[in-house]
Amino acid sequence: MTEKQQPNPLREGLSTKAVPQPCAVVIFGATGDLTHRKLVPALYNIAADGELPPAVAVVGFARRPKSDEEFRQEMEEATRKFSRQTVRDEIWDGFAKSLFYHQSEFGDEAGYERLAERLDRLDKESGTRGNRLFYFAASPDQFETIVQNLKKAGLNKARDGSWARVILEKPFGTDLKSARHLNRVVQSSFSEDQTYRIDHFLGKETAQNILVLRFANAIFEPLWNARYIDHVQITAAETLGVENRAGYYEGAGALRDMVQNHLLQLLCLVGMEPPTDLRADSIRDEKVKVVRSIRRFSEEEVGIYVVRGQYIKGAIAGKSVAAYREEKGVDPQSQTETYVALRVRVDNWRWANVPIYVRVGKRLPKSGTEISVHFKKAPQVLFNRESQSPDQNVLVIRIQPDEGISLRMQAKVPGTSFRIESVKMDFHYGTSFGKASPEAYERLLLDAMAGDATLFARRDEVEEAWAFIDTIEEAWAEKEGPPQLCDYPAGSWGPEEADELLARDGRTWRRL
Amino acid sequence: MNCWLATGAPGGGYDAISSGNATGSRNDLITMPATEAFTAGLPVEVGQIDRELKKLWDASGGVMTRASLINLAVYSEAPDSLGRNTAIISQITENHACRAIVIAADPESKESGVEAWISAHCHVSQAGRKQVCSEQLSFLLKGKQCGLLPNIVFAQLDSDLPLYLWWQEEFRPPIDPQLWAWVDRVIYDSKIWRNFGEQMRLVEATQREARQRIVLCDLNWERLIHLRIAVAQFFDHPATHHHLAGIKALEIKHAPGFRSTALLFVGWLAGQLGWERSSAKAKSLGFRQKTDDGKQKIKVSLLRKEGEPISACRITTESAVFRIEHKPGADLLDVFFGRTEGRKMRQLLPAGKNDVVELVQEELMRGGAHQVYLRAVEQVRDLL
Repeated sequence: MTEKQQPNPLREGLSTKAVPQPCAVVIFGATGDLTHRKLVPALYNIAADGELPPAVAVVGFARRPKSDEEFRQEMEEATRKFSRQTVRDEIWDGFAKSLFYHQSEFGDEAGYERLAERLDRLDKESGTRGNRLFYFAASPDQFETIVQNLKKAGLNKARDGSWARVILEKPFGTDLKSARHLNRVVQSSFSEDQTYRIDHFLGKETAQNILVLRFANAIFEPLWNARYIDHVQITAAETLGVENRAGYYEGAGALRDMVQNHLLQLLCLVGMEPPTDLRADSIRDEKVKVVRSIRRFSEEEVGIYVVRGQYIKGAIAGKSVAAYREEKGVDPQSQTETYVALRVRVDNWRWANVPIYVRVGKRLPKSGTEISVHFKKAPQVLFNRESQSPDQNVLVIRIQPDEGISLRMQAKVPGTSFRIESVKMDFHYGTSFGKASPEAYERLLLDAMAGDATLFARRDEVEEAWAFIDTIEEAWAEKEGPPQLCDYPAGSWGPEEADELLARDGRTWRRL
Repeated sequence: MNCWLATGAPGGGYDAISSGNATGSRNDLITMPATEAFTAGLPVEVGQIDRELKKLWDASGGVMTRASLINLAVYSEAPDSLGRNTAIISQITENHACRAIVIAADPESKESGVEAWISAHCHVSQAGRKQVCSEQLSFLLKGKQCGLLPNIVFAQLDSDLPLYLWWQEEFRPPIDPQLWAWVDRVIYDSKIWRNFGEQMRLVEATQREARQRIVLCDLNWERLIHLRIAVAQFFDHPATHHHLAGIKALEIKHAPGFRSTALLFVGWLAGQLGWERSSAKAKSLGFRQKTDDGKQKIKVSLLRKEGEPISACRITTESAVFRIEHKPGADLLDVFFGRTEGRKMRQLLPAGKNDVVELVQEELMRGGAHQVYLRAVEQVRDLL
């Protein structure tokens, strides 16, 4: 039993949330990129904002030999480079004292026993009170080993009055079978309410704002259904290529890397019914219903409604860039998709017959993630009798960069004739709210420390998402020879086949 | 940076105040002629303000984005207020896009007249690509024309946006119901009030007049925000939560002139923790708290000390001490917690600044009613 957090009367009216309980955060994979670029800078920013518990210990767990002092220096360098706030020496000095390094192989049981002893010592020295947050920032193929060794060392169970939680970084498996296996492995040691599957898209301010936009504004919800919405587009475009992730990406591809998690999470937020309240499970119950309602493809339908692409040589921002197959670490005959577009149907009353088009790609001309809701056209009367047919109203929710919301509507062009043009009403977070939003990892780390799972994926969400993705992957695998892979030049908006996917329905992709 | 987008001689003749923004900073105006000092802007006829504003935006050639989340009306009778408030608005608009209506009034003037200026404050947005501009309309009212205040405010509001009225003077009866019925939030600083009780009665009467619609926003209360957060976080944890019921003494060190700030802090603790005044006598600082064994006395001491408005706060319980220090000029609070026999902990937490821009910015970041403030005032009303 964890100590119950009683309401603090002094918190009433304050804009900050209660500080989480003291705890030790153990990061597996402490020498990796994620720890350097995101996790430790995020923890520093939480400390600088005064939201970190007064007693906290951050223990980096990794293979390379290193002293606490070396680890602190490395982390200081990384934080100075990647933190959203300038690092202040006096805050860093205090924060650095809470950083520790624990050297061990992931598979070395004795290393976990030593970790347990060290955490006990830290409880006494730093006052972390037996609360543990294990962050798996290591490669997913190490998860099973880490979980099993944590259990053997008794670290999965907190002592009375304390808690133990685990944060898993994506990917949560590579298909339904492996996801189930991973979930079983994790749950053999940590129960579902101890498990936090992180999807950093959900920590973004605009992603959280989707619920506010939909359910706090009376004007949208009555229109948010098949009667008024023609279709929805969800786009995640990036100019970057595979960078230094070829090893992982070759085995994953765009569908597994982005669609299974980030884009389906966004689809859930757009498609879900209003939850009964804002508790984590109330929201996640509604999200999982959406994933369950996504119509599964037959093998034939995959060929019709899913487009795979891979970038060939081209140019980004006026500079030539190599083809995917020429990238370092990529098989020259690689069949991995760097682009995928699909037409999804959600079989429920709200979304009956409303296609949802999802696309994600690397080496596209612009980086940006957004959701666009395309409303049905106004009836073909009055102004629409003119030669030009007015555009649809489009509500765009920009997730990144330049987070905000815009609404395209029709207006009369000044003059004696009734000429109609599209105009845009635009809301930019950066313009309206000068204060910078915390990074997604800051919010998510704080939530995990506080035991709030709202912005984390639940087991059934993950498994349902894989069940859908598997129908596509399996159809591709069933084909004789490699599945169709459409080329697109780097710097273009993807293969022509993706345009045809919409053209068949009389639609076009929204220009970002 | 303060600018106006049309050519013409700067109006005003008010004290020049430096912008404080270094050349090349993110708030530089890139494309528009700009002044080096804050003045009230381009002089305009009151009846032509809309037209002149339109011209001003047309002249920008669409390179700037006009943004506004609120109407922020600022009223002052201080002689140099137009220049000073323009400088303040310039900083506020970096984080809070608004239509600012800055009013300087001189009710004692024998002359009677109204002068008006328009200007815009432009900053590079967070995204770093757009110039985001907030409009400022400035008015100088003299003599009898000071009675035009409601009309001026009404005529210049950006429609549908809430009206925040920052009243930099003491309140004077009679309160004009016509004006106050339109106000969503009234911002004031009770620290400058000579008679808290009388002023508060006026504010509350105004609030009643507006059918409780107005939210009272006291900058003196806002001064306590970081201290309140720091104290609250002591008691978030179940292991320390029980100390709330065992507070024996509270000691606060405040700068001269900030006794009212310290009293509001005492009122906050008393209101939130259910303390009762131990004596009905006015000016007595004794409190009692109900405990399982009856009632426990709480000794409250206020000590004057040069430095930050609240430079130290010490809460003592049966078995622990919670201490916060704010060293002069520091923007971090030094926070200590120690059990009589046991662990001691130290933490640095944001302190904020006793700076009017920061206080107003903090206030603008908040929403909702200030019930906790009203509860705090109620506890110490007769001491203020």
